[in-house]
Amino acid sequence: MNLQTKLVLMMVLLLNISLFAQDGYTLTGTVTDETSMPVPGANVVIQNTTTGTSTDFDGNFSITVSNGDVLEFSSIGYASKAVNITGQQTLNVVLAEDASQLEEVVVVGYGSQKKSDITGAVSSVKSEELNAFPLASAEQALQGRAAGVVVQSNNGGEPGAPIAIRVRGNTSIGASSGPLVVVDGFVGATMPQPNDIESIEVLKDASATAIYGSRGSGGVVLVTTKKGRTGKISVEVNTAYSVQSTANRLDLLNADEFARYQQIINPAYEQGTANTDWQDVIYKTGSTANHQFSFSGGSENINFYASANYFKQEGIVTNSDFEKTTFLSNIDAQVTDKLKLGMNLFGSRDTKNGVLTQSTGETANGGGDDVISLAFRFAPDRGIYDEDGNFTQNSVGDGVENPWAVANELVNETKVDRYRTNLYANYDILDNLAFKTTFGYSTLNETVGSFKPQTFELSTGFASLANRRTTNLLSENYLTYNAEIGKGNLTLLGGYSYQKTNTIRFSALTQELLSDDFLFYNLAAGEVQTRRVTSSFSESEIQSQFGRLNYEYDDKYLLTATVRRDGASNFAENEKYAIFPSGAIGWKVSNEDFLKNSETISNLKLRASYGVTGNQAISPYQSLAELAVTPATAIETAPSVSVAQEANPDLKWESSYQTNIGVDLGLLSNKISLSLDYYNIDTKDLLLETATSPAYSGAVDLEVFSNVGEINNKGFEVTLSTRNISKENFSWTTDFNIATNKNEVIALNNGDIIDSAAPGYFSGKDTYILREGEAIGLFWGLDYQGVYQGGDLPAGTALKGGFSEAGDPLFRDVDDSGEIDTGDQTIMGDPNPDFTFGFTNNFRYKNLDLNIFFQGSQGGEILNLTNVQLFNGDSNTISEAFNAWSPTNTNSNIPSNKIRDREISSRFVEDGSYIRLKNIALGYTFPIDIVEKLGMDNLRISVSAQNLLTFTNYSGLDPEVSYFGSGGGSTGSGNVVQGHDFGNYPTVRSVNFALNLKF
Amino acid sequence: MKTYKYLFLLIGLTIVGCSDLEEDPITELSPDSYFSALSLTEVEGFVAGSYAHMVHRNFMSREMTQALMFRSDMMAIGRTGAQERIDHDNFTVQADNGLIAGGSNVYWPKVYQIIGAANEAIKSGLSLTDVDEAERNEVIARARFARAFAYFHLVRQFGDIPYLDDTTILSEAAVAERTPAATVYENIIADFEFAKANLPNTQSSRAIPAKSAASAYLALVYLTLEEWQNSYDEAKEIINNEGTYNLGLEPNFQDLYDAIKIDQSLEPIFVLDFTGVSDGDQGRDYQVAFTGIRSDDQYDMGGGWSVEVPALKVFTSWDDLDYRKAVTFDATAVQGDAVVPYTNFTDADGRAVNRPHVGKYTRMASKLPQQDGNGRSSHSNYMMMRYAEVLMIGAEAANELGQSSDAEMWVNRVMERSRAGGVSWANGAEVTIAPSAVPADFSGLSQDDFRTRILDERRLEFAYEMKRWYDIARRKLGNDVFGADGLESEVSTESGVGPGPKSFDPAKDYLFPIPQSEIIINPNLTQNPGY
Repeated sequence: MNLQTKLVLMMVLLLNISLFAQDGYTLTGTVTDETSMPVPGANVVIQNTTTGTSTDFDGNFSITVSNGDVLEFSSIGYASKAVNITGQQTLNVVLAEDASQLEEVVVVGYGSQKKSDITGAVSSVKSEELNAFPLASAEQALQGRAAGVVVQSNNGGEPGAPIAIRVRGNTSIGASSGPLVVVDGFVGATMPQPNDIESIEVLKDASATAIYGSRGSGGVVLVTTKKGRTGKISVEVNTAYSVQSTANRLDLLNADEFARYQQIINPAYEQGTANTDWQDVIYKTGSTANHQFSFSGGSENINFYASANYFKQEGIVTNSDFEKTTFLSNIDAQVTDKLKLGMNLFGSRDTKNGVLTQSTGETANGGGDDVISLAFRFAPDRGIYDEDGNFTQNSVGDGVENPWAVANELVNETKVDRYRTNLYANYDILDNLAFKTTFGYSTLNETVGSFKPQTFELSTGFASLANRRTTNLLSENYLTYNAEIGKGNLTLLGGYSYQKTNTIRFSALTQELLSDDFLFYNLAAGEVQTRRVTSSFSESEIQSQFGRLNYEYDDKYLLTATVRRDGASNFAENEKYAIFPSGAIGWKVSNEDFLKNSETISNLKLRASYGVTGNQAISPYQSLAELAVTPATAIETAPSVSVAQEANPDLKWESSYQTNIGVDLGLLSNKISLSLDYYNIDTKDLLLETATSPAYSGAVDLEVFSNVGEINNKGFEVTLSTRNISKENFSWTTDFNIATNKNEVIALNNGDIIDSAAPGYFSGKDTYILREGEAIGLFWGLDYQGVYQGGDLPAGTALKGGFSEAGDPLFRDVDDSGEIDTGDQTIMGDPNPDFTFGFTNNFRYKNLDLNIFFQGSQGGEILNLTNVQLFNGDSNTISEAFNAWSPTNTNSNIPSNKIRDREISSRFVEDGSYIRLKNIALGYTFPIDIVEKLGMDNLRISVSAQNLLTFTNYSGLDPEVSYFGSGGGSTGSGNVVQGHDFGNYPTVRSVNFALNLKF
Repeated sequence: MKTYKYLFLLIGLTIVGCSDLEEDPITELSPDSYFSALSLTEVEGFVAGSYAHMVHRNFMSREMTQALMFRSDMMAIGRTGAQERIDHDNFTVQADNGLIAGGSNVYWPKVYQIIGAANEAIKSGLSLTDVDEAERNEVIARARFARAFAYFHLVRQFGDIPYLDDTTILSEAAVAERTPAATVYENIIADFEFAKANLPNTQSSRAIPAKSAASAYLALVYLTLEEWQNSYDEAKEIINNEGTYNLGLEPNFQDLYDAIKIDQSLEPIFVLDFTGVSDGDQGRDYQVAFTGIRSDDQYDMGGGWSVEVPALKVFTSWDDLDYRKAVTFDATAVQGDAVVPYTNFTDADGRAVNRPHVGKYTRMASKLPQQDGNGRSSHSNYMMMRYAEVLMIGAEAANELGQSSDAEMWVNRVMERSRAGGVSWANGAEVTIAPSAVPADFSGLSQDDFRTRILDERRLEFAYEMKRWYDIARRKLGNDVFGADGLESEVSTESGVGPGPKSFDPAKDYLFPIPQSEIIINPNLTQNPGY
């Protein structure tokens, strides 16, 4: 059952609790279900009064009653029960499950609604699902849990890597497509730890998100944290440990094989003396530890929840780890019967020690400092050190640093402190008119220290320290009015919101330090000439008015309309304001007479909505003309100035026009419940950083934000929940969700957008394209036609300039020029999956429970850039290279081993479909009699494993790829750069042990 | 009345911000605020901006130099698979060549950034009315020099080009057609003339153009246009004023390639001066790494990358007695503790190439400390114009005019310097090159023979100083130098990489293609023939 639901009901009740009880006595008792499990959060109300309470985590309640009262017990999913008070001192009540009840309440923007009255597309994820297995972040816990919500780490299994969430595909190409995260009403907050979350609602369609206007187009994730409950103080301890390892490794050549391979390419190659498995060198066994401690409770007027959480992860790549400490507390006080005050506090400290992965290779010579791909490339016949004690150099290919040195000698430490508080006051002006005002403040303070010693052969060392402080101020004020008009029920909401964000950055860098021992803690010890200092300030504001109308008639017909007017400073002079409206209708068919008594159909609701949401996720000042200051490096020491960018006075919001049609169906007393949604999202005025004026304009920043076109996303989402078996000692439930998303570029004002997300040292070769009429981010390159066998060229094919021997790769001569050049590039693959799905089965046998969670993706392709490098002849490779074409092995699809030009071709495009056993968890809850003897309320242990099995045909390390090239995944480029595989932190396989204790 | 108390509290929380949403970018330098209190300092800022772009890797340090080097008959492909480089060496360049434009490591935008900053300087300088005019004009002159210097490179490479000056309206330029080369040259000459008229005779550094720099470039522009008399006059004026301009030939040829001595030398006229300070690729010297030998320890900077490696015939056809040969090449390396001849460069490192490498950049960089990282943080000066060239420009023009005594007198000063020998570097140590009879003086040659020889002497004197391609283009030497007897005619087998078969087409290859990425944005730009 949804705890948060009960919480909301409970709070509603609390508002109405009489402050003084009259001539009664105190009755205590326990509410359990038919399987003797306690029912927490059940409402206990004296009939025909507003006096009541609710049960605690263990189903216990305590209430002042008088003889003759009728006490009503109710809880979501159970049939309510009335008990006459006849002087009992204790009362134990068993509630029967009532599948036909759907009175679950879900949180929506600026309020909450009965789930049955929802007209939009909203997915709820409950606390149990979020905590099915221990995870570092709540974002990760969303993966596979909600249809149409795709969750992916920006860098494989890297400790502390940002997690990207996509709701219903990429609705943008150049601006962020991530959803807006709202935590307890704080817009744009950081997600708390999973243990502290009561529920997460993902708002998907426009009727649900348009109340967030210009920030709603990527969907909205509403997070509700746990609150205290009236009753006994509950103390909870959760502890989990895990052991982690790489989920997969490449079959790289050893020293002998490598020498044999290199001698095919260069007969003069001399084998080195060492035999190093560079994957062994950089990988290790990782671990996580997670400890959470919370206590919560409340009296009639005050409820509190306080929690501390410590998470530590030792990465599976040497020298990478992550540590996170968070504190969270919620206090709610009913000051008078009309006034309620509350405050949420959140604080955290993250410390991330990173190794460099996913490097683009643009900053260093020939391949960057990316530990993962270096380990793949580096010659295995070299040791870590040479005979003189210096780091070895690669024996082939571009000069690159030694992977061990890069992993161990570089320091890259990020510390982030976060603080957030949100204060609210809710005042009931009338019985049906409430005013709520919130004031929120948050800061983020990030310090990044980077250090590279001077012991590297190929590049100079440096030390730098950079700080960023972001302050966020939020004020929201709104009125809620509720009225019953005949058979109808009307709710009106209207409000005003103002938010201001500013960021101060400061960084300093120096080189040629007196000593490598200083790390980045003594920048003054660097050579004066090499010192670089930067600082900046940026600020943005949003101010908005918003309103919503909900009308329900006869519990059959539903109407929702919302509107928000947003003004944002980020936009150009002529386009500061925009209006985002939406409307939705719903029909509860099952409440009509002809279905009311149906045995089969217990619930049937039809929904339709249409609305407009926006995207303003671009940095401040993008529409203004700017000059660039180039640091003085020439003989002149004065700052040098040139034109940075031209003004764009018409830069405006990106707008998404979304239609949603949905059906909710419950069969056989809701033993089977099914939701179907179809959506169609047109995003217009796409924001993209692109070259709109020619390079000869002389501006330094040629790529500026402008509104360049239109894309469309459409898809189906299916959510199916079945309660297969529901016996006293055994139950089995299944949750299945599947979603398709098909996107298409409708218009691009300046024609095709072709770009490269390959590492910098691939010489900027194109890898993807946006083209009208095609899906977003298709792979772009040469069409591989197999190996040339000598003699006449097969019709329609040609060889790349400089290659004319048998064994060279053949490409389709698209432009029929007889040569292979950029005119022969063509669409060669589609990274967009046909569908993604999650499949969960929960079994419970007596006190044992088993959770099996599969998750997968079908039909998306991957561009294996790792293999482009490994088959280039100038690095180590995988054993498949020995199957390459040779005069004695002409029947091969792999060109002969030779130094080639890192061709981006269809040869490296592979099917990336997969099914993954994401989690399997077995738990044991100790019987209540044993637990009570130990003086506890609950004791549970569990063991689980993640990423244990993956079924895929993808030949690379992992089909969940996340290489974004120079743009990085957190920016807009993650929208268009999909399915690229190169050098990301490997996916982690882990085995967890967890212990939950409750007092 | 308790209620009111709470109402006050509510009002306290209800902080209703109200904003006009105007942006006030404190950090970003907006044109409005920059120009709001315009003084000569702001104008100087733009001038500095224009010169700063010249020491970015995209310009002479890496991208543009690669195009100029590989296209010439002196520099062949070393150990690189990069197609955008190979295409220049083999004349298979296409309109989207990855060195010219369309990515981040390209030079076309950078040359226009030099021009853009110069235009801003000129525009803002001209709007200043209450300053000393001579002082203002000196600043504008430096900007116009930079603009002309940049356009001179572009017009020689691309012919008709988009031409933007300080009066151009950007929205018009964005759809404009290419400006004819002849008009571009007129504007270049006007800029250099203005610079010549307003720059002082000498500057504190040869990285800042003096009158002699503007004048020398005028001589070269006229030479390129084959306006022999104008070229001769300009050169002669400089030579006659060599004392005033504080110019002279550096006695030891090797000292021109010494980062310490070059700063004191009288020979440089205009240089790009790397100061050892870099910010990303701004201010970073890549020629050392590109021309250096892999795993070569003789300069104590981690060796180079063997990317730009001369064709072997350049070395074997060069007279051993010529002092300049010893200065130009690194024919030996020090790998481990052993001196290794070029035939064995790959023994210690398979990524090297078994041919003599260029020594001018590695030796220049090695003269100052902190040269790890393949010399990328060098203090090198790239010689854009030096006095020897003025003498040879004058000689070439004089020969065309039949003024053989001036022609011989001037060019022979350069020949004489080489014959005198001097210090150099070989086998990882300083050596002294004895005086010799090579190169012989120019004497009694026919006009044609003089022309042939002086072009060849320019090739040797300015080897790998980014001059040769322009000489080939202006004198239309392509069919000869890329023909069967050309320096790159032998497809190298020494170490598997080198010159490939040339497909030089005189109807096409003297000009580079206008970047495809520019034509996409401005379809009114036409393409050069053959692309």
